[in-house]
Amino acid sequence: MFVHVPGPWSPLFGRLTLDSIPYTNPIILFAFAFSVVAGLMIVVPVLYYRKVGYLFREWLTTVDHKKIGIMYILLGLVMMFRGFVDGMMIRTQQVMADGPKSLGYLGAAHGYLPPEHFDQIYSSHGTLMIIFAVTPILTGLGNIIVPLQIGARDMAFPMMNAVSLWLTAVGAMLVMASLFIGDFSTAGWVGLAPLTEVPFSPSVGVDYWLWAIQISSIGTTLNAINMIATIVGMRAPGMRWDRLPIFTWTTLSTNIIGLTSFPILGVALALLGADRYLGTHFFTAGMGGDLMLYTNLFWIWGHPEVYFLVLPAFGIISEVIPTFAEKPLFGYITMVAATFAIAGISWTVWLHHFFTMGAGPYVNTFFSVATMLVGIPTGVKVFNWLFTLYRGRLTFTAPMLWAVGALFLLLIGGLTGMMLAIPAVNYTVHNSVFVIAHFHCMVLLIAYSIFAATGYWFPKVFGFRLDERSGKMFFYTFSLGTAVLFIAMFALGFMGETRRLDYLYDTQWMPALVTEEIGIGIYTLSCYYFAKMLYVSIRDRAKNRVGADAWGTSRTLEWLTHSPVPFYNFAVTPQVNTRDELSWRYANNVAGVRPSRFEDFHMPNNTVVPLLIGILAFGFGFGLVWRIWWMAGFSLLAIIAVVIYRSFARDPGYIVSAETLAKLEGADEPLSIITETQHLAELGMITETRHLTEAEAH
Amino acid sequence: MISSRRRSVALFSRPFLFLSALFLSGCSTVQYRLFHPADSIANVEWHYTIVDVAVMLLIILPITFMIALFLWRYRKSRNAAYDPNWSHSLSLELLMWGVPLIIVVVLGYYSYQSAMLVNPYKPSVLAKSAAADAPLQVDVVTTDWQWLFIYPQQGIATIDDLVVPQGRVVDLRLTSASVVNDFFIPQVAPMIDVMPGMRTKDAFAVNRVGNYEGYSADFSGEGFSWMQFSTRIVAPSDFASWVSQTQASPHKLDYAQFRQLARPTVNVGAKPAYFSGVDPDLFEEVYHAALQGVVYPVPAELPIPVPAKAAATQAGPARS
Repeated sequence: MFVHVPGPWSPLFGRLTLDSIPYTNPIILFAFAFSVVAGLMIVVPVLYYRKVGYLFREWLTTVDHKKIGIMYILLGLVMMFRGFVDGMMIRTQQVMADGPKSLGYLGAAHGYLPPEHFDQIYSSHGTLMIIFAVTPILTGLGNIIVPLQIGARDMAFPMMNAVSLWLTAVGAMLVMASLFIGDFSTAGWVGLAPLTEVPFSPSVGVDYWLWAIQISSIGTTLNAINMIATIVGMRAPGMRWDRLPIFTWTTLSTNIIGLTSFPILGVALALLGADRYLGTHFFTAGMGGDLMLYTNLFWIWGHPEVYFLVLPAFGIISEVIPTFAEKPLFGYITMVAATFAIAGISWTVWLHHFFTMGAGPYVNTFFSVATMLVGIPTGVKVFNWLFTLYRGRLTFTAPMLWAVGALFLLLIGGLTGMMLAIPAVNYTVHNSVFVIAHFHCMVLLIAYSIFAATGYWFPKVFGFRLDERSGKMFFYTFSLGTAVLFIAMFALGFMGETRRLDYLYDTQWMPALVTEEIGIGIYTLSCYYFAKMLYVSIRDRAKNRVGADAWGTSRTLEWLTHSPVPFYNFAVTPQVNTRDELSWRYANNVAGVRPSRFEDFHMPNNTVVPLLIGILAFGFGFGLVWRIWWMAGFSLLAIIAVVIYRSFARDPGYIVSAETLAKLEGADEPLSIITETQHLAELGMITETRHLTEAEAH
Repeated sequence: MISSRRRSVALFSRPFLFLSALFLSGCSTVQYRLFHPADSIANVEWHYTIVDVAVMLLIILPITFMIALFLWRYRKSRNAAYDPNWSHSLSLELLMWGVPLIIVVVLGYYSYQSAMLVNPYKPSVLAKSAAADAPLQVDVVTTDWQWLFIYPQQGIATIDDLVVPQGRVVDLRLTSASVVNDFFIPQVAPMIDVMPGMRTKDAFAVNRVGNYEGYSADFSGEGFSWMQFSTRIVAPSDFASWVSQTQASPHKLDYAQFRQLARPTVNVGAKPAYFSGVDPDLFEEVYHAALQGVVYPVPAELPIPVPAKAAATQAGPARS
């Protein structure tokens, strides 16, 4: 029944033998040593200060959306760093392996990475950056900010939220495990069919890639359900649809995409898994298989996935720019319409990833025009931000710089994207590094938004601001690296360099390759400033403490409660009166008013179940990768058992009484929270006033 | 004061000097392949690249300028006009949906027009020249990791060497014996996928004699980086003599011998090989074999190109 794969197999260890561990490779040994040291730097202090219990009780078993969000972002940042190291290795290999006379080291014919190692690195770079860096960070941001922006106490399904996190973490851990046990896929992050089939990729690499993405995508799907339910069902009184902050709008649209597209990926990977494990022929060339079916299915997920990532980034820009322009966002309704237009069109463009398939000119023209249509709402968004800047009062904090930088990247990415959308042009640059440079502009736009969001909402979560000086140096070095690296990469695209080459035959590319290497060097420098920013900010945290509103010009609801946000978010569920609620409260002098009375409220208990499901899911994935059937089978049954157990367990949560709450709140500065409608009425306020801003109040 | 300022400017602009050198150096050679299309099809592709960029710049440049202007003009320290409530304008919002819409309509028309002109299956731009001479049929088969060019009418085949007469339309049929590759000659032919168990088509014609590099653009495994081939556009008389010379090659090729040829091979330096007496149905046989599930799998001991020392000395033929 099961497909024969070459090499030894035993019932106890499956395909796993001592030879599976690449202990002879100095690069992997170094990576292993680095990981061990980094791991010890975390584990030793935890043990020394006896924080194991704290870590377990407060973090690993938490169902608090903010802590889950923080762990999502930490996971994403660590993976982003590893993805960056992969990128650095790719660049260094290419600059060392240009031309037949280039020298080889460490057993490689050219450069220092033999092809099968290089191919794993470019594959893991893409997989890590998209699935395990950007996706978790954006999910984490949504987790933290959305409930605060809509005035909720938590997500709709707090425990499922934790399950999502641990399933994503399992995927990342499988990719990490592939570094030290066995190997990773060489078929790219897209899983090029039929290269992913057993005859061409008999090792465990593709299985690692497959199960890492499959398991984490279940987490992403669950999170999408959770987010949609939260936004639809848990908005504070008065938070009507036309008052929803833009970041929440984009999170809603993005998770509608996520909920509808990730199952397609799940199906595509399941069918590929059937090919590899059961010997079916869904995506093989022969025996009735259709490899382009895989390519279609992958990109029917893959292109919406691009917008899944970029829409929250647009949301972040739409929050940051108004705050630092001290003006409401221009064209709110237009912005929301544009967001959903992009989400809708995202379903009709997937074929532009393979215009060269040989589809006729009519099919290609359809997808070409559909792709260009995306440019309309995207252009609208740029105009919206542009007119938000117009007659504003701009302060260039680090988050604002990142947001503005993202605007310029969007313009370059848009220009080159419109080039790629024309089939005749696409035939000259498809699969060349021009495409790589284009989509890195777009993914960097997302990264810029992430850095903007990190700086912008960091004080909300931790109660102190990030250091501006090193934060700006981080921005400038990072942007210089972007310019140097990707201008050279666009040039190489015009020179005809194709992607995924571990050996380059044309020595004329050398100057551009050296420029790229300089660019990645500048990026490395920016890593230093990132670390410095974190270090200085934590060292000087007492100096940078902030109140509820960290920036003084914030506009939305999340800035109403304390910084750092208490576990219950808002002492009393706020009554929302207008679109930019905080600005309205400033204008009406009700921003710092204490609530007149407190009420009991209910909170969910922490639980070990999500962590347990995560650990078992790792056993499931690892068992399947190595074909250790007993391990995979046991883990799957145990997951089912845990879910059934949890369904019957009585876990009513707990009640925070009004007295406790008053004590918790009383110990603090005066509250920036106002509640119920009656209280507002006492103050003589009308609940339906819109768009009064501080200028009018002054 | 001035000198220190100049020094800081020089320091800052050094990476950019490098970049400008990057672009200038392209003018003298064909380093920027896409800027130097060989003929007809590549010309059309390059033409529409320029048209597309020009149309897009009509909107991108003003926006870039306005963003830069607003960033400078409305910074807080400048105390410029401040309008804290202005967040809506119907006419502006209609305009910002309308302008991109017009751009897309224009570009959509160009997209359709160019898609017809360079349609790899039946490029209308070659319709005129097709009348003059019957097109030359070439069957392309990719293996792991070489290019096999079969000339069924001439009964010859080559490895990694595509020779065609100038001015004549070349009709390609492409299929793969292993995984997906992309057929790509940047200055000559539109890119097209080469897939196992499927047949695609491509066509080009070049009126001038010349040599061009071709390679695979879609990753196909460990030997992918060595999948180059030379494209030689020669005078018709030279082509005729090349054909008869190749027809004298002692190496024959039928499907049984193809099975040997299709074993995973990294052809470092893309060294050509020539065959005569080639089975004219070889292309169809390879295609049908793939449909029946025949693979030429990568062996457990994966081939690694050449040891480091040999690579330095054993350089392949110069290709640029």
